[in-house]
Amino acid sequence: MSDLVNVSYLAVGPEILLTLGAVLVLMIDVFRQPSARVHAWIVAATILAATVVTWFQWDRVTGEGPFLAFSDMVVIDEYGVIASFILLLVGALGLAVAWGMVERLGRRGAEGIVLVFMAIAGFQFMAVSANLVMMFMGLEIASISLYVLAGITRERPEADEAALKYFLLGSFASAVFIYGVALAFAGTGGVSVYDIGAFLRGSVLLKPGVLLIGMALLITGLAFKLSAAPFHVWAPDTYQGSPAGIVGFMAAGAKVGAFAGLGRIVITAFPLYEAEWAVGLAILATISIATGTLLAIAQSDIRRLLAYSGVAHAGFILTGLTAGEAGMPAVWFYLAVYTVQLIGAFAVVAAVAGPTAAGSPMSDYEGLSRRSPFLAAVLALFMLAMSGVPLTAGFVGKFGAFAVAWRADFEWLVIVALVASVAGFFFYLRVIVLMYMREPAVAEAPGTMRARLEPVGALRWVLIISTAITLAFGIYPTPLLDLLSTALPF
Amino acid sequence: MTELVLFFIFGALALVGGLTVVAARNPVHSAMGLMLTLFSLAVFYVVQAAHFVAAVQVIVYAGAVMTLFLFVIMLIGVDKAENLSETIRLQRPLVVLVGLTVVVVGVFVAVGGRFAWITGVVGAGPEVNGTAEAIGDDLFTTWLLPFEATSLLLIIASAGALALAFFRPRRREGKEEGAP
Repeated sequence: MSDLVNVSYLAVGPEILLTLGAVLVLMIDVFRQPSARVHAWIVAATILAATVVTWFQWDRVTGEGPFLAFSDMVVIDEYGVIASFILLLVGALGLAVAWGMVERLGRRGAEGIVLVFMAIAGFQFMAVSANLVMMFMGLEIASISLYVLAGITRERPEADEAALKYFLLGSFASAVFIYGVALAFAGTGGVSVYDIGAFLRGSVLLKPGVLLIGMALLITGLAFKLSAAPFHVWAPDTYQGSPAGIVGFMAAGAKVGAFAGLGRIVITAFPLYEAEWAVGLAILATISIATGTLLAIAQSDIRRLLAYSGVAHAGFILTGLTAGEAGMPAVWFYLAVYTVQLIGAFAVVAAVAGPTAAGSPMSDYEGLSRRSPFLAAVLALFMLAMSGVPLTAGFVGKFGAFAVAWRADFEWLVIVALVASVAGFFFYLRVIVLMYMREPAVAEAPGTMRARLEPVGALRWVLIISTAITLAFGIYPTPLLDLLSTALPF
Repeated sequence: MTELVLFFIFGALALVGGLTVVAARNPVHSAMGLMLTLFSLAVFYVVQAAHFVAAVQVIVYAGAVMTLFLFVIMLIGVDKAENLSETIRLQRPLVVLVGLTVVVVGVFVAVGGRFAWITGVVGAGPEVNGTAEAIGDDLFTTWLLPFEATSLLLIIASAGALALAFFRPRRREGKEEGAP
């Protein structure tokens, strides 16, 4: 029987280690009630161990080629391993930003760590799954962790609202996704992406209506998770109401996981229907870019601004995905650098608002350059990178995504995206103007809320690392581009 | 033929149950409507020879989950007056519009000739074996990893329940002390 199942502990090593870490945190928390420092060591050891195992996966994949495991439930290829690396980086940075929240939550802090670990494991399962049912499991594991994380500070009614909205719309999206799995199964007789691909290559469907609806539902379900318009309505409220420390991880992790799943489904399972889904993704991208850019202009809360900018960025990344397999390296580059910028920007938000606070009105940022030159400078850098200014990684990402879409004959989409990028300067620059050209709203007096503000501890390192990544790959992107050029689904 | 007749009878019942869930004024009636839908689905599973799934459907959903629903409804109180008016303007007309659009698209796809249900399975397909033994065999070989991955959901459930319930409601304490 074990031959049939082809168990490979290497294939699910990172997920096993994350689960072990989670259980360890829970058990130690129950029996010893340790200080946050002990938890920090366990977290660091777990993430490090998972990264090492992911490195072993990378070694095996580049040496001997991709391999399938657990009766073809998961496939370990460069695509999945790259996604695992990005997710571990996002998780490590996200937990460092959330550490203030973990400490402030007291006994509930351990559960916060556990939920972040579970979310990383779930998104990794999505990225490596070769089977739609397995992908659904990963989606659910990650989503349910994020629903709880959104509402973990239940003392505040905003957190309840954020969690409930995320939960209701998210579970609806999961239902849409599983309905898509069912229809894809009805249309092809398989739930493995390879079975579906092989069936479609071997037979011509004269009446593919059911299959096409299934494909549309699969894309819709994942579009909810990556907050692409018109499925984005939960994002602004959830980002605004959730604890400031965790929002960056929620936004970044969901984007990586959902794009990894989406890319694998459309490229591996439905390559023969590229004409259909590419147009669908292009329409989704257009709506996202337009909605995100237009609504971001009108926001008065920086988290809602970042949420709508995230909708627009989902559109930009979808622009890259319209090119199919040829666009995947550009998509990975964009995701890798954008998620780092996102976590960096939310780290500044957490530093300004406090790690468990809800809402970050723009007025908090007036004159931030006086109160904290460092925070203002890094936030300005992330804003410039998100708007796509040259010499930041954001420019290289946008350039790559638009170039592949142009080559795939989506010229109109690239023109829309370019116009929106220029319009996007307006709201990104508005934040910079607020920080540098306005006086702080309330007179600076020691001991008041408007006192000087400096990031401490882990938060400071997150800002330094994400700044370094944003600048380094903006000035010299070649190594990362070379690395990602082979990150295609097997 | 039997399958078709059963499908129409219990399909209609499932729809009636679903509509009851949405339309009933009394939450207990809603719960009963949901139970009707779940039972009808169980009949579908029996027709498909998935006996184990049908049994699980009745025991877990119609049994345990529904008991939990009713328990919560009773705890909250049935006769509490609920404000059922919509706060979002034009929501109901919009819902009708969107629903009709879905129906029209469905009919269009069906009539437009792009529609065939099972294109993947040619012929009769393999004999379905829905016994607990056959499902157990599959569950612990082919579907081992998804099955094991559900354990992560259990960890999330316990950690999440603790995280959401294990806190001191400061607001209520404040009220009891008469503080604003």
